[in-house]
Amino acid sequence: MNFSLTVGLPHYLLVGAMLFCFGLYGVFSKKNAIAVLMSLELMLNAVNINLIAFNRFLWNNPVEGTKHLLLNGHVSAIFVIVVAAAEVAVGLALVISIYRSRLSANVDELDWLKW
Amino acid sequence: MNAQYALLAPEITLAVVGLVIFSVGLLIPKGSRQGMVPLTVLGILVTMAVAGAQFFSNVNGSFLDGMYLADNYASFFKLLFLAAALLVVLSSTEYVQKLPAHRGEFYGLILFAALGMMVMAGSGDLITLYVGLELMTISFYVLVAYLSEDGKSGEAGLKYLILGAVSSAVLLYGVSFLYGLTGSTVITEIAAKLGSGMSPATILALLLVLAGFSFKISLIPFHMWAPDIYEGAPVPITAYLAVASKAAGFAALVRVMLVGLKAQALDGNVAVALAVLIGLTMIAGNLMAIPQKNFKRMMAYSSISQAGYIAVGLLAGTPDGVKGVLFYSMIYVFANMGAFTVATVVSTAQGSDEIKDFAGLARRSPLAAVVMTVSLLSMAGIPPLAGFVGKFYLFKALLDQGWVPLVFIAFVMSMVSVYYYLLVTRTMYMEEGADLPKIGVSGATKFTLLVTMLVTLFLGIYPSPLAKMATIAAASLFR
Amino acid sequence: MLNNFGAIGILLIFAIALPVILVTVPKLLAPRKYSKEKGTVYECGMETRGETWVQFKTNYFLYALVFVAFDVETVFLYPWAVQFRKLGTFAFIEMFIFIAILLVGFWYAWKEGALEWK
Repeated sequence: MNFSLTVGLPHYLLVGAMLFCFGLYGVFSKKNAIAVLMSLELMLNAVNINLIAFNRFLWNNPVEGTKHLLLNGHVSAIFVIVVAAAEVAVGLALVISIYRSRLSANVDELDWLKW
Repeated sequence: MNAQYALLAPEITLAVVGLVIFSVGLLIPKGSRQGMVPLTVLGILVTMAVAGAQFFSNVNGSFLDGMYLADNYASFFKLLFLAAALLVVLSSTEYVQKLPAHRGEFYGLILFAALGMMVMAGSGDLITLYVGLELMTISFYVLVAYLSEDGKSGEAGLKYLILGAVSSAVLLYGVSFLYGLTGSTVITEIAAKLGSGMSPATILALLLVLAGFSFKISLIPFHMWAPDIYEGAPVPITAYLAVASKAAGFAALVRVMLVGLKAQALDGNVAVALAVLIGLTMIAGNLMAIPQKNFKRMMAYSSISQAGYIAVGLLAGTPDGVKGVLFYSMIYVFANMGAFTVATVVSTAQGSDEIKDFAGLARRSPLAAVVMTVSLLSMAGIPPLAGFVGKFYLFKALLDQGWVPLVFIAFVMSMVSVYYYLLVTRTMYMEEGADLPKIGVSGATKFTLLVTMLVTLFLGIYPSPLAKMATIAAASLFR
Repeated sequence: MLNNFGAIGILLIFAIALPVILVTVPKLLAPRKYSKEKGTVYECGMETRGETWVQFKTNYFLYALVFVAFDVETVFLYPWAVQFRKLGTFAFIEMFIFIAILLVGFWYAWKEGALEWK
């Protein structure tokens, strides 16, 4: 491997993979529901980093016959951001509703069902 | 330009109907929200007519350079989702009347979930697929947590949200690698670029995508969520979740795997791994269903094993296999809706859904007991019911591909499933249940029960109309 | 490339060194005398009362939720606005439909009392 200071695709993918793993770890180890939702966001942002890095480094091609660039990855990232926001909004609303009935936001205490 | 938008007619119709339902719910003052059910049913029927017209006039078009497809395969699944939504709406009228608040939104959310599934079935692009998937699951998060008074429901909703979001993130991470490998998110272009290449990155992407979808269809290592969420959710929503959300997962998974990644997914080692997972799913799902005391938990494990049967068609990977998937998914809608409608009736009357609550149902409500028996036996695959024909198509397709041991497992496990289905029947017919109330079914619920039972019987004896539809739909996938 | 990142490296070194120097030099030079007044929380205006760890009304969160949802949806307006002239009337109508759908959602939030202070 070439250890020069040039930042290239592998570095971005590494950051993405790290974020994804932190997020995955956080989802299954955090007690507080809000922290779990934050970990989820980390995972989705890892996806965004991947999409944009791939677009920038590998598929930065112009649309045929024009000078505009193909921005598939960027557009995908916008969709991911928006949908993730909707998902987290519903998640927070559920946390509030559960908090109201139990006065706690700890995932550990969600033991009324078996899992 | 305009002709292309006509391809989207079913989706646009359903979106408009959903928004109208929400608006009507706001305009009518609280407490007097009547008339929502007829309006919803009408909306679903109109959308069904549009989707049916597309199917029977053989509309096969693509939209925006293949990002969205309106082919027979998608139309078949659209009809399936709409039928499921219709049955859920009809069977839940009395249940919804008992809800303390927010009755109108219930129907709107069911419609939006159906819209999301339709987008999933029709999407030829992975990001479009993701948006459809999220539209469906976000609607489901709210529906699962609908009983705000009941702590279990909210808890199930939050659990479903966390696990569902993780699985979507895993799926998307795989999609991002597919994009990196091919520079496109359109399924056909991915197939063209990947060819039959098998790099480590392709395998990683394939496994991530497969894991994400396995969660949605509850294949074995990703099945833990199902029993809890099924138990906590309102009964009609459990039915909808088991039937439609699973079918939508299969609709998308089959398209991605057999159109986009066929060379990779059905190649030697990956196929063997998939076969092992499917075998485990059938074994564990059926064995864990046996000791369950709660009807919804039992049905959850049963639905896990059913996912195993349906995935058999995916593993076969042939038009025959896809035909089996389509056929079985459709009859599974009617069998499962029949069983869950009975469960809804019982849980509305008795406020509980343990299996022992069904005691003496044959005496207390003969129709419900008969429908339950027919539905369960159909799921077990007893001839002459529809489930037998469906399993026959699926196992035959797999046998043609030479997976003899897996077919054997599937067959044995179908026999095992008869045992726990008959336990419920025994409770209904043999036990007294003396102190339990008499249950009357009427109106929309009765209609739902009769329809599901008749369809299950009819398709068992005379399957060829649906089989023909499934063949046409499967053929359009492989064009 | 290397030079550019070298500059960033030098900046980083200075950025870390400066606070360290600024903290250690007073530690070494300044006289240390404690008094009650020094021990209190630094705050201008009124003296603090009660706990700092108070609960906010859940209405704050409802506002925040509605804000997050609508705030992020407007992201779609940016790509459209950049290419507004090229996309033409059809995209204009499409964007109106999009905003109309958002407005139905907003209307719903309003009617259901998410924006009210109870």
